This record gives sequence, C-alpha cells and structure tokens, in this order.
Amino acid sequence: MKSKKCVAMLLAGGQGSRLGVLTGKIAKPAVPYGGKYRIIDFPLSNCTNSGIDTVGILTQYKPLELNDYVGSGKAWDLGCSDGGVHILPPYQGQQGGNWYKGTANAIYQNLEFIERYNPEYVLILSGDHIYKMDYSDMLDQHVKTNSTCTIAVLDVSLEEASRFGIMNTNEDGTIYEFEEKPKQPKSTLASMGIYIFNWSALRYYLTEDEKDENSSNDFGKNIIPAMLNAGEKLMVYRFNDYWKDVGTVESLWDANLDLLNPKLNLDLSDKNWKIYSKSTGTSPQYISDTAKVENSLITDGCEIYGNVDYSVLFKDVTVEEGATVDYSLVMPGAVIKKGAKVQYAIIAENAVVEENAVVGGDPQVVGSENWGIAVIGDNLTVGKNAVVSAGKMITENVAEGEKI
Amino acid sequence: MRTSLVAGLIFANARDSMLKKLTLNRSMASVPFGARYRVIDFALSNLVNAGVTSVGIITKENYRSLMDHVGNGIAWDLDRKNGGLYLLPPYITRNIKKYTDTVDALYGAMDYLNRCSSEYIALCDSYTLANIDISAAVKSHIEKQADITVLYSKAMLPEASAKKLVLTMDEDARIKKTTQTDAFDGAAYSIGVSIIGRELLIRIIKDAYDAEVKNFEKDVIPKSLSSLKVYGFEHKGYVAILDNTHTYYQASMALLNREVRQDLFNKERPILTKTRDDMPTKYGINSEVKNSLIADGCIIEGVVKNSIISRGVKVQKGAVVENCILMQDTVVSNGAVLNNVVADKEAVISEDVVLKGTPEHHCFVTKSQVV
Repeated sequence: MKSKKCVAMLLAGGQGSRLGVLTGKIAKPAVPYGGKYRIIDFPLSNCTNSGIDTVGILTQYKPLELNDYVGSGKAWDLGCSDGGVHILPPYQGQQGGNWYKGTANAIYQNLEFIERYNPEYVLILSGDHIYKMDYSDMLDQHVKTNSTCTIAVLDVSLEEASRFGIMNTNEDGTIYEFEEKPKQPKSTLASMGIYIFNWSALRYYLTEDEKDENSSNDFGKNIIPAMLNAGEKLMVYRFNDYWKDVGTVESLWDANLDLLNPKLNLDLSDKNWKIYSKSTGTSPQYISDTAKVENSLITDGCEIYGNVDYSVLFKDVTVEEGATVDYSLVMPGAVIKKGAKVQYAIIAENAVVEENAVVGGDPQVVGSENWGIAVIGDNLTVGKNAVVSAGKMITENVAEGEKI
Repeated sequence: MRTSLVAGLIFANARDSMLKKLTLNRSMASVPFGARYRVIDFALSNLVNAGVTSVGIITKENYRSLMDHVGNGIAWDLDRKNGGLYLLPPYITRNIKKYTDTVDALYGAMDYLNRCSSEYIALCDSYTLANIDISAAVKSHIEKQADITVLYSKAMLPEASAKKLVLTMDEDARIKKTTQTDAFDGAAYSIGVSIIGRELLIRIIKDAYDAEVKNFEKDVIPKSLSSLKVYGFEHKGYVAILDNTHTYYQASMALLNREVRQDLFNKERPILTKTRDDMPTKYGINSEVKNSLIADGCIIEGVVKNSIISRGVKVQKGAVVENCILMQDTVVSNGAVLNNVVADKEAVISEDVVLKGTPEHHCFVTKSQVV
C-alpha cells in the first residue's frame, strides 16, 4: 500500500437526536439538505476538492441509508482503487467488540485502518455541518507552523460563544486553553470540530486515553486537554466563511433558507468548488400556468401547480393547484395537495399533506413564544382539513379534520 | 458466462442532416433534448431498462460530443467487465470507407456482432423519442417465433413529419407489405426499433452487403417479407420522431403536456442521462414562470413562459423568454426579449436584444454565439 500524506476520518455515527423524527430512520449525515444534497456531501466534496482521496467514514447509528448513499464513493470522485472511501462500522475482534464510546474511541478502534496508509497527517471531520472549506490550506498552515495539532475555528459573537467549545489563544494563534461551553468566555474562537493531527502524536494520545477508564474518549473533553497539558503545540486555523451546525430542526431550516440569501456566501453553483451528490435519474421540473414561484430553490422532478415562496423543494415534489408553500422545506417525493397550506414547516420524504390541510404557522400570527418549525415525519399523511400548529413534530399520521 | 438475452445496437448518425444547425458539430444522438437529456438517452435507457448489458453505438462522424456524453457508460450502468458500452466508429479498411447507410454500417459492426454472445439484437435508431418496453417486444418476438419484429406506432405525428415506413399487417400482426409514405393518418408506421436474432442478422447483412443493398429498414425488410417471418409489435405509448427542425421543436414543446411527461419519464423505466452536479434551480424575487420545463442549475430572475430551459441557463432580471428552447448554459441578459428562439449551448444574448421568430420559422442562435 502506498503511503498517503493525509487521511481523513469522518465521524458520521451521530444520531442527531435533536432532529427528532427527521433522524428517526437515518443518521444525521444522511439528512437531506438544499434540494439535492445530504449533509455528508459537504465534508466529502470538501475532501475531494482539497485533494484528499482517502476517507474513512465511521458509522454507528442507523447506517443503512448512509452506507447505501455513499456506496463506492464514485459520486464524489472517491471511488479510486488506491484510497477512496471506506465505511468503518464498529466490529468484533478476538477480544469481543464495543460500540464507539466517543469520538476519540471511534478513531482508536480504527487505528489499523489508518496504519494501512501510514499517513503523515490525519484530518478529523464530522458529518454535521454545512460549509465549504479547503482542507489543503489548513494542512499547509499545520505543516508550516510545525504544529502537532491544528483546530479550525470560527469567530462567533460573545453571546454565542457559550454554546461552543472555545479556544483561548496567544497572539500567534497557539492555543493555551480549551473550554467547553464556558459561561464567561475569554475568547470567541469556536471549535468547528475539524482537527489535523500529526499521525504519530494522534496514535500516542489515543492509546494513552484508552488506558484511562474514566475518560469519555472525546476529542474536545479528553484528547485536546491532554495534549495541552503535555505542552504540545496546538494552533488554531481561522475560517471566515459560511459554516452552520445543523443539529436542530431550526438550524436545519435556517441553513436551507440561507441558500436563498444572496448576502451569505453559500454559493453551491461555484464551478471551482462543486458540491457533489449522488443524483438519480428524474425528469426536469415543470412549473405550470397556475403556479406562482418566487425566491425558491426547486429541484428536478418537481411538478408545481400551486404557489411557492421562500422555500426549498427537493426532488420529485408535487405542489397541486391552489396549495401554498411558504418558508418551508419539502423533502423528496412529498406531495402537497389542492388547497393545502404549508408554512414555516419541514415536510420529510414522501409525506403527503392532503387537501386543505394546514401545516405550521407564521411567527407574527402565533407569537414568538408559541412559535417553532412544524415537522411532518417521512411517509406520513396529514389528512384532509387537518391542522398541525406551529412547532409541532408529527410522528404518526394525522387524521382527517384533526387539530394538533 | 451468462450474458443478457438481448444486445443493443444504436445508429447514432441516422438523419443527421435533417436537423441542420443542431447537427453542425454533433451527431443526431447527441442533440440536446428535453432540458437535461441528449437524444440517445432514450435508446440507451430503453435498452438498459430491458436488462440489456451490452450496447454498441454505430457512429461515423461528428462523434466528439457523443463520446463526451456517453463516456464509459456509467450513467446507464454500462461500465461493465462483461459486456458494456462499445463505440463503433468506421473501421476503415480496403473494403469499407465511410458508412453511407445502415447495411454497410452494420457490416462495419460485424466484429461486435460476432463477438457478442446475446441471442437477439435490438436495432435502435437514435431519433426515436419514446419510453419503449423492449422486454415486451422481445417476449412477443419469441412467442411468435418471429425472424424480425418491427416496432410500430399508430399515434398521430406532426404534419411536418418526413416519410415513414408504413406497415400493412394481417390479424396476427405479420407484416404483409411496407410502403414509404408521408400519408400515415392512423396507419401503423415503424418507429425505428426492431428485434432480430443475432446470427440471422449476421447472415442477412453479409448477403445484403454483397448484393449492395443499402438500407436495412427500407430495402432489407421489404425484400424479406415472404422468405422470413416479419411481425409488427405496437408501442402504445407516446412517441416523437425527430426528422426535421419542426418536429424537433414540436417534440420539445410536447413535454409541456403532463400526460406526455408521465409517459416519457415513466418512473418504472427511468430515462437516464449523464449527471452534472448542478445545484437546484434558483427562482429569484419577482421571477415569473409559467408552463415551462426547467432543469437544475438555472438562475431565473426574469419572465419565462411556454419554454424548455436546460441546465445552467441564466435568465436575468427584466429578461423575457417565451416559446423558446434554451440549451445548457445559455445566458439571457437583463432586458433581452426572446420569442420563438432556439438557442444552442452556451449562447449569450446581450442586454436589451430583441429576437423574435415565428412558430413556423424559429430564430436559431448557434452554439456559443454572442448576440
């Protein structure tokens, strides 16, 4: 096996429990995004665009859909015979086996995989974020500054800082302290969960961490503090572009509608930094005489006869005549029937909103205390004339005329 | 090694000259159609949807864009070790120059036919736009113990259509007579797809080539009606046949009809094409779109009505596009007005330019032209 300069390890085992019914059957990285993508397309496309051709994908929670989607990795040009993508689920060894106990333990259990490629550097990524980033630039900085570990950070506002892992740094960008969700943040540099390690150091610290029974085997909580204590050189890599964690229903909704905001630098049409996805054959979209479509993203296979405003429609969605879709995400194959009204909502895959049903509510009407994004789970039906109020998460069919 | 029962052969250049400017630098097979397809996608998908795993594409000229499009066949799952996709350009020897018709083209594909181990060959013209159940045609071919099965349609054709091979059949659909005519009101006409045993095809083509017979459909089939069992098989769905720029425009606009789309883009037998990884199409504030078929990767900020808009097209604010076919990456700048225009790939229509054709005579903008 040829040695690689850098191998990427993508942590994709998270359940994303705050996404509720949206991750009921699939892992968070497989959640649909932006009309034709899934969250995992971002780190995978970033890898291929950054010249990283070997990616281990660590899966654990509901991996079926994700495994299926990633397949051979061809869709991201990662189907190469030397390297490429490798799905790495937890496994049984001679001494039994374990689920991945934490982010660090997941990598520890796959040291053998990294060893096969004997890289100089290991890039740790997560499958939870929407962003376009050139990892090779981060790697250049890592090599140039002769660091043991480089952590990508985003400058957030002081209010937001207490929601993140914060890096306290010296003037030259070296890290002297890491604080997880500090009440009184000393800095506003938030960790993006993207790390580059020297492979030899990573192997050492993971092995040491594994010996400590009280460790939660987590990069942020254990590995980074251990390295700081040992006096290793840790540097921040500043990232100034669009980045969003899509861990909650509202942030997922936000991140999708951000695609419609020309002021945010989230251009997916950039030919020099394509976001690849696995597309399947479907016909072009059709916008009818009775339709009114404005300020929206619409994908191949959609048939639009109603009104769509400020929304993202995924592939093969039907919006019938007289139906309205405002400020919403409608995922693949969903059907919005005649006269139905969908607003401030996420309609998951293949769900059906029957005639004259109402889903979601306008924050200015329901008041901000009662407001939230309404979510209809996949393959569910909202019956005729039923009403699903703002912020409700629907996990079972809603009967005709029912009010929730 | 088990191979698929049927192998496919597609004629990529048939009727090239009839589409004029659209085929200046490309074959019939690679003419863009339906906002995200090339004409050959229909024949390729029909074959693949019938379980065909080996397809030869017979081409003679202008095949750069065709090669670009089909590549190694991955979009149709034809990137295979066993079978797969074979591009068959003229194999120039002392005997063969450039193909002039289908008989010498098939003669040139003799190596492919000899090496292929499928029992039947489905011969497909690329100019037929239809979602055809080739499995059903093969089943009928086997049940009737036919030598040749010719697929036909009785569906209405546009007035401007060129001559077709009209079939006269007995009650059992055995073909008794064929006529070349443009009067096919309700008659059964060939749609350019036929099924034939591989070994029989090899024999027929060798004989026809020696006898200097030119065309398989027009010459070989009529002469075989008494000596061979030649049957018809009806394709009952939608069909469009490209034989001139009018039928191209009409076939394109027919996609604005929901029934046509449902038939042609049948989800059970999907029409596959090379993917481009475009983002979804973005509709701007105050964009106005009516009765149009639009592919991914477009940015629509102006007015679009009754049009077919391919991948990556930009219609800027204040631009008006009506009754047009805009191929991929066309840019219509601010204030431009287009009516009855067919714009080939990457055309640029500058600000405030007005281009108006008529339904009979479309204004044509050639590839990469700046107006």
